[in-house]
Amino acid sequence: MSDTTHNPGAAKAAPGPIVAGGLMFAVGALLFAQALALAGERGYAPSGPALAPVIVTGLWVLVSLGYLAESIKSRAVPAEGGGSWRMPLLLLAALIVYALVLKYTVTGYVLATAAFVLATARLLSTRPVREVIFRDLLVAAGLSVGIYLVFTRLLGIVLPAGVLPL
Amino acid sequence: MNSLSNLLDGFVSVLSVQNLLYAAIGVTIGTLVGVLPGIGPALTIALLLPVSLQLDDPTGTLIMFAGIYYGAMYGGSTTSILLNTPGESASVATSIEGYQMARHGRARAALATAAIGSFVAATISTVLLAFVAEPIATLAITFRASDYFALAVLAMVTVTAMVGASLARGLMSLTFGLFLGLVGIDSLTGQARFTFGVPELLDGVDVVTVIVGLFAIGETLYIASRLKDLPAKVAPLEPAKGGFAWLTRQDWARSWPAWLRGTLFGFPFGALPSGGAEIPTFLSYTVEKRRSKHQDEWGKGAIEGVAGPEAANNASFSGVLVPLLTLGIPTSATAAVMLAAFSYFNISPGPQLFEKSTDLVWALIASLFVGNVMLLALNLPLIRVWVKVLQIPRPLLYTGILVFATLGVYAVSGSVVDVLIAYAIGVLAMFMRRFDFPIAPVILGLILGPMMETQFRRALLLSDGDMSVFVTRPLTVTLLGLAVVALALPHLPKVWARLRGGSAQRLSFAEDD
Repeated sequence: MSDTTHNPGAAKAAPGPIVAGGLMFAVGALLFAQALALAGERGYAPSGPALAPVIVTGLWVLVSLGYLAESIKSRAVPAEGGGSWRMPLLLLAALIVYALVLKYTVTGYVLATAAFVLATARLLSTRPVREVIFRDLLVAAGLSVGIYLVFTRLLGIVLPAGVLPL
Repeated sequence: MNSLSNLLDGFVSVLSVQNLLYAAIGVTIGTLVGVLPGIGPALTIALLLPVSLQLDDPTGTLIMFAGIYYGAMYGGSTTSILLNTPGESASVATSIEGYQMARHGRARAALATAAIGSFVAATISTVLLAFVAEPIATLAITFRASDYFALAVLAMVTVTAMVGASLARGLMSLTFGLFLGLVGIDSLTGQARFTFGVPELLDGVDVVTVIVGLFAIGETLYIASRLKDLPAKVAPLEPAKGGFAWLTRQDWARSWPAWLRGTLFGFPFGALPSGGAEIPTFLSYTVEKRRSKHQDEWGKGAIEGVAGPEAANNASFSGVLVPLLTLGIPTSATAAVMLAAFSYFNISPGPQLFEKSTDLVWALIASLFVGNVMLLALNLPLIRVWVKVLQIPRPLLYTGILVFATLGVYAVSGSVVDVLIAYAIGVLAMFMRRFDFPIAPVILGLILGPMMETQFRRALLLSDGDMSVFVTRPLTVTLLGLAVVALALPHLPKVWARLRGGSAQRLSFAEDD
């Protein structure tokens, strides 16, 4: 996912769309091969299960080629001001850790969510910690406890309680 | 006049305390969420699905959802006018002149013409919906599998052809959605397709997972990649001056024809499978700009440029409900989510809906009138509250979105694999935004693809495998022909402009929320 973007100085040549198009074509080709394999087993009967996969992945391959051609043709156009990719990666890491902690540890919903809120708010914030820490703590505690109580008590949705005696 | 008496029954049912409460909750949440930059009606409904499943009251829940949809549109206009960050892309046209009005000290007039215009448009178009829906449903009872197949093709082609500036990108998004729709066990033969050995994928990819990934996760990651470019200045709200509802006599005179024209654009474009509100809002903007006697004001805050698109935006929602309720065909991302909401309650929209669930349908339609009155009351006097919402610190806002997104997927599926799938789709959606791929076709492909495949195969089963069913039935042929016409439609504004001797202005449409 990051191949398209690790190169901020490349705005002039705008290779992003070309790389993206190439990747899409590669993925499409793999999926098309898989669809063809399925069709090999089950046949191409219009009422069978293999026709739609062959058509859709075939379309994928064609369209990605079209997109690739389009982006090669228009490569003179400068790319839009590319952003920084550090922040989305960090956010994504935080999200994955959050989900795994929720599922595979005994931390529980409230503690995991509060920690996630604090960490993410800090990541996205541009102000010094001491200016916002009180506000962030308040929101982290309020949000996590509030959601937990509303969902488990009022709506009957099970969320992991964890180590807290809730 | 059957519709009329049914509608009256609907009002009786909506005006119960409980349903009024649902409508009130819906419009309030809708406005609240619509005001937040980056969250549109589709995502709001997707996030609230797990909650609504516990309510066990289909009528109330759908009334709430309709309120959320309308509320999100009112809220979206507030954001576009005061912050120039359209909460959803149907508000993009509004933001062009609206933000300029706010910058020139006319924020209240812009907000008022948007709110009142929305109200007028929604009321007129809901009346149209009430009288158009039942005849269409009656007609649709005669539809066969091959017709539904053609209809799904038509919906898909039109949406894709008209969304976004590039056909290749639109088709790519659609193909991705179609592919997601294939994942899982084939309903007719039990064959597993594209499950890659992951047992959680056997049930397919849930709509909620996809929507949360595309909109909530994708949008937040995308915004995080360009935090520095974000405009954070909220235009100040000037002190209230004279005029009825903040509009001077001249404002009224200039607004009302734009409202009516906007409604005329919005309703049919919403009702046709054309992807919701983007086309009519931009058409309305272009038309108002051409007709205006105040050309010098355009670009500096012309009130018609707010009044028309806002009216078109709201009118299109009632339009979108026509194919959704009568045929079960969603034509915008939000309609697709509403369809998912219906299916969670085991209600399948379509011609039978008007026979089997008469009360529900008419209560829903009546609730649109009630919700709009509430929204008018909610938006103008309480505008200061919504301005406060706009000022929520960004780090906390986006953190909150991520928490609710994770919670939404987890609560529906109870599975961490689904949460991770939503994250993965979010990463893809971030790149889609980066490279300017439209988002709505993904959802429509996901919903319409399986529908299309099932109807196609059912039609063949009924005809003993004879492919000619698709070319011998007049209705099927007509619908497939319309799909071809729809491919040419996006080029009409250019042709039209040339015929009128104006400059050829290319319309480019934003995606649905």
